[in-house]
Amino acid sequence: MDFSYSVEQRMLTDSMHRLIADNWTRPKRRARQDSGKLDVSAWDSLVELGIGGLLVPEQFGGFGETPATMLAVHQELGRGLVSEPVISSAVMGVTLLAQSNNQALKQQWLSAHAEGEAILAVAWQEEGERDAQRPLSTRASEHQGGYQLDGKKILVWHAAGSDALLVSVVLEGETAVLLVPTHTAGVSIADYPTFDGSRAATVTFERVVVPVENLVAKGVLAQTSLTMALDFGIVALCAQACGAMAYLSDSTIQYLKTRTQFGQPLANFQVLQHRLGEMLIQSEMGLSMTYVAAIALSEPDARQRSRTVSMAKVEVAAAARFVGEASVQSHGGMGVTDELEVGDYFKRLTYLDLLLGDTNYHLQRMQDLDA
Amino acid sequence: MDLTWTPEERAFREEVRAFVTAKLPADLRAKSFAHQRIKRDDYLRWHRILAEHGWGAPSWPKEYGGTGWNAVQRMIFEIESFKAGAPRLLPFGLSMIGPVLMKYGSEAQKDRFLSRMISVDDWWCQGYSEPGSGSDLASLKTRAERVGDRYIINGQKTWTTLAHYADWMFCLARTDPTAKAQRGISMILIDMRQPGVQVRPIKTLDGGTEVNEVWLENVEAPLENLVGEENNGWTYAKYLLGHERSGIAGIGHCHRELAILKSLAERTMASGESLSLSSRVRDSINRVEAQVLALEMMVLRVAADESTDPGPKASILKIRGSELQMELAKLQMQVAGSDAWPYDPEWMLAESEFHGPGPEYSAAAAAAYFDMRKTAIYGGTNEVQKGIIAKQIIGV
Repeated sequence: MDFSYSVEQRMLTDSMHRLIADNWTRPKRRARQDSGKLDVSAWDSLVELGIGGLLVPEQFGGFGETPATMLAVHQELGRGLVSEPVISSAVMGVTLLAQSNNQALKQQWLSAHAEGEAILAVAWQEEGERDAQRPLSTRASEHQGGYQLDGKKILVWHAAGSDALLVSVVLEGETAVLLVPTHTAGVSIADYPTFDGSRAATVTFERVVVPVENLVAKGVLAQTSLTMALDFGIVALCAQACGAMAYLSDSTIQYLKTRTQFGQPLANFQVLQHRLGEMLIQSEMGLSMTYVAAIALSEPDARQRSRTVSMAKVEVAAAARFVGEASVQSHGGMGVTDELEVGDYFKRLTYLDLLLGDTNYHLQRMQDLDA
Repeated sequence: MDLTWTPEERAFREEVRAFVTAKLPADLRAKSFAHQRIKRDDYLRWHRILAEHGWGAPSWPKEYGGTGWNAVQRMIFEIESFKAGAPRLLPFGLSMIGPVLMKYGSEAQKDRFLSRMISVDDWWCQGYSEPGSGSDLASLKTRAERVGDRYIINGQKTWTTLAHYADWMFCLARTDPTAKAQRGISMILIDMRQPGVQVRPIKTLDGGTEVNEVWLENVEAPLENLVGEENNGWTYAKYLLGHERSGIAGIGHCHRELAILKSLAERTMASGESLSLSSRVRDSINRVEAQVLALEMMVLRVAADESTDPGPKASILKIRGSELQMELAKLQMQVAGSDAWPYDPEWMLAESEFHGPGPEYSAAAAAAYFDMRKTAIYGGTNEVQKGIIAKQIIGV
């Protein structure tokens, strides 16, 4: 093991750091949120740094990077509170598609993704089936040399800004994943803001027809690919949380050093010093657990991989809650306003527990995988 | 000691329950259970329904138009009203400045203001915190200068809850700039409807705008609006906080949120069954229920002994009450899970139909969780409260 960044990793994260410092300032982030739409130029600036091709295999024009690089990159994204669909598209969408045996489809969409010409979203959740990875009500059947889809997916992260949806369906009694260009006739997207300032949607499919060539995977492969995409997404999410926790801890330290009460800086009070200490403990342990999970992504045993990823999700969510709540509390009244960055970070850190399976779900998944 | 509810207390609970069930407007009830925002008119409607029934001032003695209820009755009333979905009673008149005026106010002040508080003919706000004076309230800088027959007040207040509706502010201001810290502060009643008073809303984490910044620029108050003696305002401010001690525990709020949490868990389905059947979820609900019951008894024990100084117990109520309010909100959000994703500000204001992806009853769970963080900060942060406890038990 070597914990120091390679030259390439250092250059990449440094460039990202600079880009984000310039272009993801609070006013710019807020303006993008208020517009309610994907800011294409912001996305393009991330793609220029190679975000689109990071996990795309080299044969399709990407960099085929390791989970370790993914971890470094997503810490920067989290530190800058980047809300663009990097996890949903460049991690989950790409990972899912990369598992496919459909070379032509991969050639077309993965290389487009690496070039920044396609954004993917994964549509896997259905009503009443919280976090279940097996589709039940979204169905596909053969139809005049193609597939016809009917059904509804909920909680589709960043569906509205996407070019194609990777949709889990029941096909001939098996799980399958189909690639559906977002603007296909019969696809309707009810987009809404989420409490952290990003977007999600309910997506309805009504007699949507795609060619048979759009089949990504079917049967066992479809199921394992979905799980793998989810696991990669979770580790990226944990890395983002670690970046956000580090930023929030730094800014809380600065606040306590400058805010005076009772004639001295708040940082002089032991109770607040201890809280800062605990914030660092939580952040560092969260990051260490995220490393553990990043290693597990290369684990050939899928059960072992998923079990470790669930552990990380649970631990990092708990750390994120602690750090978020502690930062707000340390900022006193200012912390509960919408006027400081601390609130934005707190919301993002809260949101991550409810994304890609909440703590209850992952505790259950660990238990099931133990069995 | 007799730890049973008397027949009278039981009958009183039934009476309150029946009254609230009959009189609470359905839309208010619905808003409370959905965590939608309670507006000015909502507060006024409920206050006036109570006032009409003679219950407008549950914590006041009869001589001032109150109910004359004892501590047990007051708590039963609070719990039953909240559980039924009633809005909280505005504390600024009834629990804050009202009791101060009863004890320290002039006869003219009592005559002029007290009865109008019961039906909220005057809306009051609290002018305590300032941008540089939060936990360290005694460092406040707002200045009141005596000029002829009046005070001229200049300064800035902050976190002033519902000041945008207020007709009056009870304000702490420095009347003797040479005196140190607590000495030299006076409590003055300020008419908010005059030039020189500027109110700007502060948006909070939940997207709400309940609190405000208030600028006072050459604002005038006649000398008769001084409460008690000049430079003695700190004593009244402390009396006020002490009087507020049982209210700040939020026991009624806790009971209502517990009921909402249970119903949320029952109605939320995951993997084909109700979340209330998951032992993981049920354990946390049962534990928080135990803590709410203990808090209720704690409130009663403190309130029943009105004659003596509650000592550190007042701070226990504040800390534990806020911790439970935060815990209940967190558990609701966790049960709501991904149903809590959306944020719909118009629906929160009950100004649009619900069109979220999940069920309506889960849609504000995250906003409520964010909003409840304030309870560990207002009324003296929990850190300050623990310091107060330590001072009292160590005796320093």
